[in-house]
Amino acid sequence: MNLRLHIWRQSGPQDAGMLKTYDVANVSEHMSFLEMLDVLNEDLIAKGEVPVAFDHDCREGICGTCGMVINGRPHGPLARTTACQLHMRTFKDGDEIYIEPWRARAFPVIRDLVVDRGSFDRIIQKGGFVSVNTGNAQDGNTLPIPKTDADRAMDAAACIGCGACVAACPNASAMLFTAAKIGHLGSVPQGQAERSTRAMNMVLQMDAEGFGACTNHYECEAACPKGISADFIAQMNKDYVASVFAGRD
Amino acid sequence: MDLKNHIPSGPIEQKWDKHRVELKLVNPANKRKFSVIVVGTGLAGSSAAASLAELGYNVQAFTYHDSARRAHSIAAQGGINAAKNYQNDGDSVWRLFYDTVKGGDFRAREANVHRLAQVSVNIIDQCVAQGVPFAREYGGYLSNRSFGGAQVSRTFYARGQTGQQLLLGAYQALMRQVGLGKVKLHNKQEMLDLLVVDGRARGIVTRNMVTGKVETHMADAVILATGGYGNVFYLSTNAKACNVTATYRAHKRGALFANPCYTQIHPTCIPQSGDYQSKLTLMSESLRNDGRIWVPKNQGDKRSPDQIPESDRDYYLERKYPSFGNLSPRDIASRAAKEACDDGRGVGPGGLGVYLDFSDAIKRLGEKVIADRYGNLFEMYERITGETPYQVPMRIYPAVHYTMGGLWVDYNLMSNVPGLFVLGEANFSDHGANRLGASALMQGLADGYFVIPYTIGGYFAQGGFSPVLQDSPIVQATVREAEEKIQKLLSINGKRSPTSFHRELGKIMWDKCGMARNEKGLTEALTRIPELREEFWQNVVIPGSGDQLNQSLELGLRVADFLEFAELMCYDALHRNESCGGHFREEYQTEDGEAKRNDQDFAYVGAWEYTGVGSKPTLRKENLEFENVQLATRSYK
Amino acid sequence: MRAFGEIWESNVFQKWLMAISGLLLVGFLLGHLSGNLLVFMGPDAINEYAHGLRTMLHGTAIWIVRFGLLGTFVLHITSAMKLSRRNREARPSRYNTVEHRASTLASRSMLYSGLLLLTYAVYHLAHFTWGVVHSEFYPKASPTGPESNGAEYIPDVYSMVVSSFQVHAISVAYVLAMIMVGLHLNHAIASAFQTLGVRNQRFVPVIRMVGPLLGILVAAGFSSVPLAILAGIVK
Repeated sequence: MNLRLHIWRQSGPQDAGMLKTYDVANVSEHMSFLEMLDVLNEDLIAKGEVPVAFDHDCREGICGTCGMVINGRPHGPLARTTACQLHMRTFKDGDEIYIEPWRARAFPVIRDLVVDRGSFDRIIQKGGFVSVNTGNAQDGNTLPIPKTDADRAMDAAACIGCGACVAACPNASAMLFTAAKIGHLGSVPQGQAERSTRAMNMVLQMDAEGFGACTNHYECEAACPKGISADFIAQMNKDYVASVFAGRD
Repeated sequence: MDLKNHIPSGPIEQKWDKHRVELKLVNPANKRKFSVIVVGTGLAGSSAAASLAELGYNVQAFTYHDSARRAHSIAAQGGINAAKNYQNDGDSVWRLFYDTVKGGDFRAREANVHRLAQVSVNIIDQCVAQGVPFAREYGGYLSNRSFGGAQVSRTFYARGQTGQQLLLGAYQALMRQVGLGKVKLHNKQEMLDLLVVDGRARGIVTRNMVTGKVETHMADAVILATGGYGNVFYLSTNAKACNVTATYRAHKRGALFANPCYTQIHPTCIPQSGDYQSKLTLMSESLRNDGRIWVPKNQGDKRSPDQIPESDRDYYLERKYPSFGNLSPRDIASRAAKEACDDGRGVGPGGLGVYLDFSDAIKRLGEKVIADRYGNLFEMYERITGETPYQVPMRIYPAVHYTMGGLWVDYNLMSNVPGLFVLGEANFSDHGANRLGASALMQGLADGYFVIPYTIGGYFAQGGFSPVLQDSPIVQATVREAEEKIQKLLSINGKRSPTSFHRELGKIMWDKCGMARNEKGLTEALTRIPELREEFWQNVVIPGSGDQLNQSLELGLRVADFLEFAELMCYDALHRNESCGGHFREEYQTEDGEAKRNDQDFAYVGAWEYTGVGSKPTLRKENLEFENVQLATRSYK
Repeated sequence: MRAFGEIWESNVFQKWLMAISGLLLVGFLLGHLSGNLLVFMGPDAINEYAHGLRTMLHGTAIWIVRFGLLGTFVLHITSAMKLSRRNREARPSRYNTVEHRASTLASRSMLYSGLLLLTYAVYHLAHFTWGVVHSEFYPKASPTGPESNGAEYIPDVYSMVVSSFQVHAISVAYVLAMIMVGLHLNHAIASAFQTLGVRNQRFVPVIRMVGPLLGILVAAGFSSVPLAILAGIVK
């Protein structure tokens, strides 16, 4: 199939950037979306042009590196699918495709479709962990964890940190990302000791990074390639307010 | 050069304990005076950086990703082994040790493997304490599954995302230390070279991938946890950025590279669909617990799988290896698939595929149970191929997955360059010629959480660290070399992209040094690789400049090293006149096509010393002594 | 320990304030509605009710309620303004194309429906409470002097309502505003519970149903008064 792509080109963080149009021919339906971009880039290199920079790594939907807004949707049209797992059979001959980077103040563009998601790491640094030094642990079976709790923890822990939630949120809010970590650790007994301070510190860091606030549109959970539920945001809100009133921070 | 492996004396069960007592300690107050560089933030790197920082060392961690959480450990699906014997099915440290040595086709160091089995139990405990959501039974206790190469259930898992969860555990531990200011984390920095000063590893040269600046970073020790080199084949299950640069650069600075020819071909990957293919996707080996592998009995049987009656199907693993059946180790299962396809009985486009069929399991257990176990894997398969495994058997084909070879290290995980430690897949130490499923996660975390924190102290306690100045001639020379290489690449301005060279190299390696190798092919590869390398340096084109994010340049630098490293692999494969584990030489097989090991002449680690680009490396041998496990023909029949 | 000011200014706390104040305002709306519906029971019922409100606790009750309401409104509005400003700033460059998957017209227009409602509320107060617009319908002030006969004076709220709503423009504006209230509540109620952290899957689907339902009920309930008046059912 033949496609017309409109891709955001921006040569550096300080540049203005604009959409540029490219035609790609003979795209196979078995290609992944990123392989289609590979083909475009090889073409551009052959023509002596600078290829489109985009983030990617594992190409199996787990590392969370890839991410671009495809026709107005983070990671493209398919639910629960990262851009690298999106295959061209989803598109048809003659389609026009708009490809843009994640847009958020807290995710500045580095180049073209590549953004800096360091803000996510800084949120985790504020409490997205259990403070247990290597060697502290007791036997793994000492504390039974109800299967439903373990499953719930896993539902939240499945987050790949790609940032699609932020990209999809009309407010560029990082609440689903933050809530997923708070929800994961809040669902297992090992996370209880720091539950209160974790919610407090991570939420405040999220604000400091310049993410917006949740207005409950649920665009985030619809865009999340791992299908993480906005339930966890409710839990985070509760944990946060509880920690405000607990006053133990 | 004399290779001292520093394996402690005494009975194998006591070696590690004894060694820990004998290792010198660094006083808690003095630990902050020692600095460590950790390159790579996968399981081994993150766990090491976090654990060392917890001890009080001054740690700097480096990753070429935008976040430490993205390392390729994250993609491991199936699970992590540990000799917990929670299932009461006869597991023990000894059995895990034995299984691993045997699985490695008797080419691993006994003492290292035993230590690995010993600390495996601590890993699970540590991860549970970090909040890793391992699968649980209804009673709340940890659940296990069985995995290839073992007859006990000792694999712990978190749905099909075990690697992700373990990595996030280690990443979170690392983030905690970064938040506390104990680790300085450098994102988007790629290591270009190792700084060896007065014979000791004292720092690294990196390129800041955002600004393009070439920087130097000094420390008292350098830890490489930079993963494997499977991407030398271009198509592999490795992530796109995985590369050999860090370890190969260290090799060029004097570190020995051990057993590079041991590459693991994973039997359950999704077959290639076209030339544009950028990577291969692995389907967890755990699928083999319930899926049955088969091909049509007759060549050229083009019927759709549901039209082929039982009598016309060949469940070749169950037939050839009745006791392990579909759970035969990876090398055996892969080769058996290749044989079936070479025999003209492969399925799917190009005949490069075999069926992995769940219809019996669905009949026996119901679709819901199967969906619980493998739902996400089935979804992934469907997204890629457009077919649903609930109705149509999966098609799978082997693909390069893991590399057992790596930098040579002693029992302390230190290479022959003092102060250069190597962990995880980047070293060669624990898996011999073949790695068992669910053992990579175990090894990465064992090295990072429970080995390096002890052994690095022993090295520091020896003392004698004089400060290294940024402007010392050796440092400046190394930086200049890196900068010149970048300039050279940018100025060639030829016709071919780095990817096209990479793809061509990969094809040579897969054909000549892949699942089956022979002398003729390897000799041919040894002529073609230098030619390709020559062309690369004449004809590659890297658009853009070096002072900003330039993904073509990153790739060019990596491919340049693969083009040298590939030769090393072929030399190793050519010299090893035997078949063992992930190294199958067609000349050395039994009458029924099984690998034929030669313990008489090859029970050693082949560690190679660099002698210059294009010049044959020098072989150093470390003899493997088996005092506890009897060398036997590996049989899974 | 984090200072009160820092907590107060945090997004989640502001959201929480908005949710709490919003739910209080919903409570007020329901109370207001129940009063309005007394129109259907004739002039005495509503006039006595209105009079009762003004004289309860010697006339202090209404001031307590008024100040409470004012405070709630201020909280609701200031948090809304703060959050929407921050939300706008969180995405300085806009997408070329956006395809919504889960958000609704109601959820995306909260700021606008809210602002329109604020404008309408001021007009509404000016009309029915302060009597500064459409003052011709406003009940005469309590007569003083001999003609009062010492009997308790009850202002004729009923007539004010009926005669006001007989003006088509006033009715239409009112009904439109009530539709806006419905739209606002459609998203607001479930949203408030989400913000307050109700996440039990047994209740969430119910709550997500209650929001739109209550929105419709409130809009229909309030609108029924002018519609009945226009239709001549209430005279």
